[in-house]
Amino acid sequence: MSDPSSPDLPHGTREPHRHTPKADVRKLYQRAIFASFLKLHPRNTAKNPVMFVVWVGTVISFLLTINPNLFSTIQENINQQRYFNGLITLILFSTLIFANFAEAVAEGRGKAQADSLRATKSDTTARKILPDGSIQSINSPQLRRGDVVKVVAGEAIPGDGEVIEGIGSVDESAVTGESAPVMKQPGTDIASSVTGGTHLISDELTIRITSEPGQSFIDRMISLVEGAQRTKTPNEIALTVLLAVLTQVFLIVATTVKPIANYIADFMSTVLGTTAGNSLRSGVSVTILISLLVALIPTTIGALLSAIGIAGMDRVAQFNVIATSGRAVEACGDVNTLILDKTGTITLGNRMADEFIPVNNYSIEDLVWVAKAASIFDQTPEGKSILKLAENYGAKLDFDLHKAEGREFTAKTRMSGTHLPDGREARKGSVEAIKKFVQERGGIIPPEIDAAYEKISKLGGTPLAVCLDEQIYGAIYLKDIVKPGLPERFHQLRQMGVRTIMLTGDNRMTAGTIAREAGVDDFIAEATPEDKINVIRTEQSKGNLIAMTGDGTNDAPALAQANVGLAMNSGTQAAKEAANMVDLDSDPTKLIDLVTIGKQLLITRGALTTFSIANDIAKYFAIIPTIFASAGIEALNVMRLKSAQSAIISALIYNALIIPALIPVALKGVKFLPLTANQLLKRNILIYGIGGILAPFIAIKLIDIILPFS
Amino acid sequence: MKFSQNKSPILADKYKLPLYLFLAISSNLVVSPIVYAASGTQLSQIQAWALGYLVLTSIGLSIYLFFVMFLPEKF
Repeated sequence: MSDPSSPDLPHGTREPHRHTPKADVRKLYQRAIFASFLKLHPRNTAKNPVMFVVWVGTVISFLLTINPNLFSTIQENINQQRYFNGLITLILFSTLIFANFAEAVAEGRGKAQADSLRATKSDTTARKILPDGSIQSINSPQLRRGDVVKVVAGEAIPGDGEVIEGIGSVDESAVTGESAPVMKQPGTDIASSVTGGTHLISDELTIRITSEPGQSFIDRMISLVEGAQRTKTPNEIALTVLLAVLTQVFLIVATTVKPIANYIADFMSTVLGTTAGNSLRSGVSVTILISLLVALIPTTIGALLSAIGIAGMDRVAQFNVIATSGRAVEACGDVNTLILDKTGTITLGNRMADEFIPVNNYSIEDLVWVAKAASIFDQTPEGKSILKLAENYGAKLDFDLHKAEGREFTAKTRMSGTHLPDGREARKGSVEAIKKFVQERGGIIPPEIDAAYEKISKLGGTPLAVCLDEQIYGAIYLKDIVKPGLPERFHQLRQMGVRTIMLTGDNRMTAGTIAREAGVDDFIAEATPEDKINVIRTEQSKGNLIAMTGDGTNDAPALAQANVGLAMNSGTQAAKEAANMVDLDSDPTKLIDLVTIGKQLLITRGALTTFSIANDIAKYFAIIPTIFASAGIEALNVMRLKSAQSAIISALIYNALIIPALIPVALKGVKFLPLTANQLLKRNILIYGIGGILAPFIAIKLIDIILPFS
Repeated sequence: MKFSQNKSPILADKYKLPLYLFLAISSNLVVSPIVYAASGTQLSQIQAWALGYLVLTSIGLSIYLFFVMFLPEKF
């Protein structure tokens, strides 16, 4: 048997670069067996209507084992009846234990993960900076939102917060599993956020605490993986109602069988003689009615329902993603539109400078010099790649760097550059922004820049124009590379009826080329981060369910608006709080995997429900004809079972054993194939519907043959 | 007065099982004589009592299932 914990990904799925949390799953099954008995408490069992009915039935049949004459006087051998009742009690008890075991195994995995997280959450002594500037040592759990603490190299960060002073490397492996340290510094949207329990490995930081005691990120993760805040999802609630309705119907059926049987028996006594009538009366005992009820109610799905939900959350956790609720995981399965950022999600995060295209009769050397001058203070990967390419051309800067001043890129200016010591300004940025910059200084736009722009855009690259004061020197081709395997994933999503929309700040031509190459269904070019929420609202107004990723504070409203919002752990606190999922590896491509997991969860629940209800047909044919054999419906005993007792015991044994047999399916999920809803429905009916009818016929017959009843 | 207002709901919450048992026994005072009378001489008094409880259990289960149907989010 394969490890039920490993996420089952479809063919073509990227084996993610992820750090599976180191949960200690040793003794998982011993703990689950112990928990199975503890869960027999009626308060716990009453939460599951199907299993509560089995619990009540077990108690009654146990009383009948002690005193078989409790409800009526037994005519036959009382010890034989006691033995039969005892056997029924044992099987019903096993059914309860197996159901509890399924839930306990699923919960156990989450608890093991919570234990490993709890180990990282050791209480430390924090240096709280008081308003007068003095430092007070206090225990980390006493820190409140707004407190300011100082952390030096080698110490654990005492709580979630924002860096307000200092620069330092933080080891976040305790939370993310990623061993490479991360630079933290104030003022930046992303790098200023720190998580409690991580360790500062160099320098010192001053941190403002952003969470109240017991509400830190790790605290919330622990309570989520432990299932402390687990509430039923809308689909689970709907299924619970269906199961309660079916149970109610069969409860009415089972309780009314006895009066109907008595009525038929009276009629048979008149027509066929008292022996036939008494035979029918004695055939319908309370134990047999309980067995009939348990066999007919959908115990399989009733037993596995909560395990399927917990396992779905666990599969998400295996991907190093923390879901705020089971509802969020389930929503992934309902999503039909994905909004994906281009950079970092569809294309590799870092665009690399690939070519310099001079214009305006400037030589390539002139262009390289200006490009290098404009990028010398640029710390972005793109800026560094421009410097690297310029060095290949042997460009040398002939001004004093200490007297020059860098100009950072902003979403508003859409360019960056350098203020040179002699007063000149070198700039690089979007072609439109540079044109405007040049025109403001009275420069003329050379027509070749538009040709260069078009050429680069058609190649799917990002064109950056380069200028020095009012003169445009040329363009830089920043190459975008679509992540390998993504076109196949988008094709699979399309087959499942999920539409993908790429959102990018690039121009239409570049966006169109990348969109075609990646195979997305639609794209929105020249979009700002603020446009995301408008796109989401527009799509939601068309009845679509949206999933998106984000990491910045400006993504927070969109993350909250989306049906599934996946925030990056490297993102800001605001983004993480607005989203309903947080990816600890900060890999936006995981959104596609999460949709797959959500769909697999829904398919698994549907498949096992179909199987469970289909099972009832076989169990009905096993029990009813044998009980009413003396009433002349023996012809309906199509399975040719030996006797009423053998038929009931066989059906109940099958009913109990099918639960542990399906635990791996519930935990691992059914095999996932990228099919449309209609194709999935046909497949489910074929495999789990027809299979659910045939499997119990075969199994019950085999058990009947093996059992020593005559 | 304040004492009884605060205490009553807590007591009802704390002693739910004895309360249900009391209600079951009280109800069976009505049900079991009917069962005994209807069965003629076939059942002993103890069996009639037991059957009365069985009937009440079935009705209780049915009420419980209706609760699940109408307030599923509580389960």
